Amino acid sequence: MTSAVRFQDVHVGQEIPPLAKVVRREEVKAYADASGDQNPLHQDDAFAKSVGFPGIIAHGMFSMAHLAKALTDWLGDPGALKRMKVQFRAVVFMDETLVAKGRIEALDEATKRARLSVWAEVDRAGERQLVIKNSEAEVELA
Amino acid sequence: MPLNQSLKGKEYGEVTFTVDQGRVAQFADAIGEDRPAFRDSEAARGLGYPAQLAPPTFVTVLQIMTSGQAVVDPELGLDYSRVVHGEQEYEWSRPVRVGDELRTTPRIADVYSRGPNEFLVIEAEIKDQSGEPIVLARTTLLSRGTAGGGGR
Repeated sequence: MTSAVRFQDVHVGQEIPPLAKVVRREEVKAYADASGDQNPLHQDDAFAKSVGFPGIIAHGMFSMAHLAKALTDWLGDPGALKRMKVQFRAVVFMDETLVAKGRIEALDEATKRARLSVWAEVDRAGERQLVIKNSEAEVELA
Repeated sequence: MPLNQSLKGKEYGEVTFTVDQGRVAQFADAIGEDRPAFRDSEAARGLGYPAQLAPPTFVTVLQIMTSGQAVVDPELGLDYSRVVHGEQEYEWSRPVRVGDELRTTPRIADVYSRGPNEFLVIEAEIKDQSGEPIVLARTTLLSRGTAGGGGR
């Protein structure tokens, strides 16, 4: 139960390895079934259009799960992830590439904890859209 | 229709959920999680855990059940077609494991308006079979355009 990342090896300003994935319709359907969130906004194009979107959108929690994976992939030990607080600020459409990122903002020597700013973004017609922004995570390093 | 802001502090019925391997595998598949600690107990034991782990956001399964109670609460008056998920916070004491019997009594931690929108904060302290707190979940739902004016 120890993070693969050592406190002495990191510094403020350091970014974690970004994690990218293309969001596919089948995965969003699988997420609806696995999480129990069956809102038609995530499954039914006609419904999504009726509320002003060009098609279905991914669940906010789908993006948060991807961001959490970026953190635990970096940490090695899932138990090293102590806290996440995220704000959902933009939607994700199908076949967009979702990229999860994070940067160390503060380090506490006594607890070996790091506070990170975390975000998730998509590139939409050449413009970066922040899907998750103004968000943070706290991790415990070895 | 504005939300019933006097419901701040209201508790809902207890929700229980047993974490089984099949549901964890289904969830891991859906989020593209293939690391061994989320796939078999041997790998989790190698990291020092007594059983296979669930991915950190697996507790969303429970959270959908808890916020579902508020969503359909006629006293609260939420119009689901206006609701978007605004914020989510999780604070973990330890990773959720296969075999955990999770239970939580969700409550409305806050209801307030800001500009034209209203915000509903649902808090759920999720405990295991021995009563130990495992995860604190704080969900903020945004109800678009339902504030009746005079928000903070």
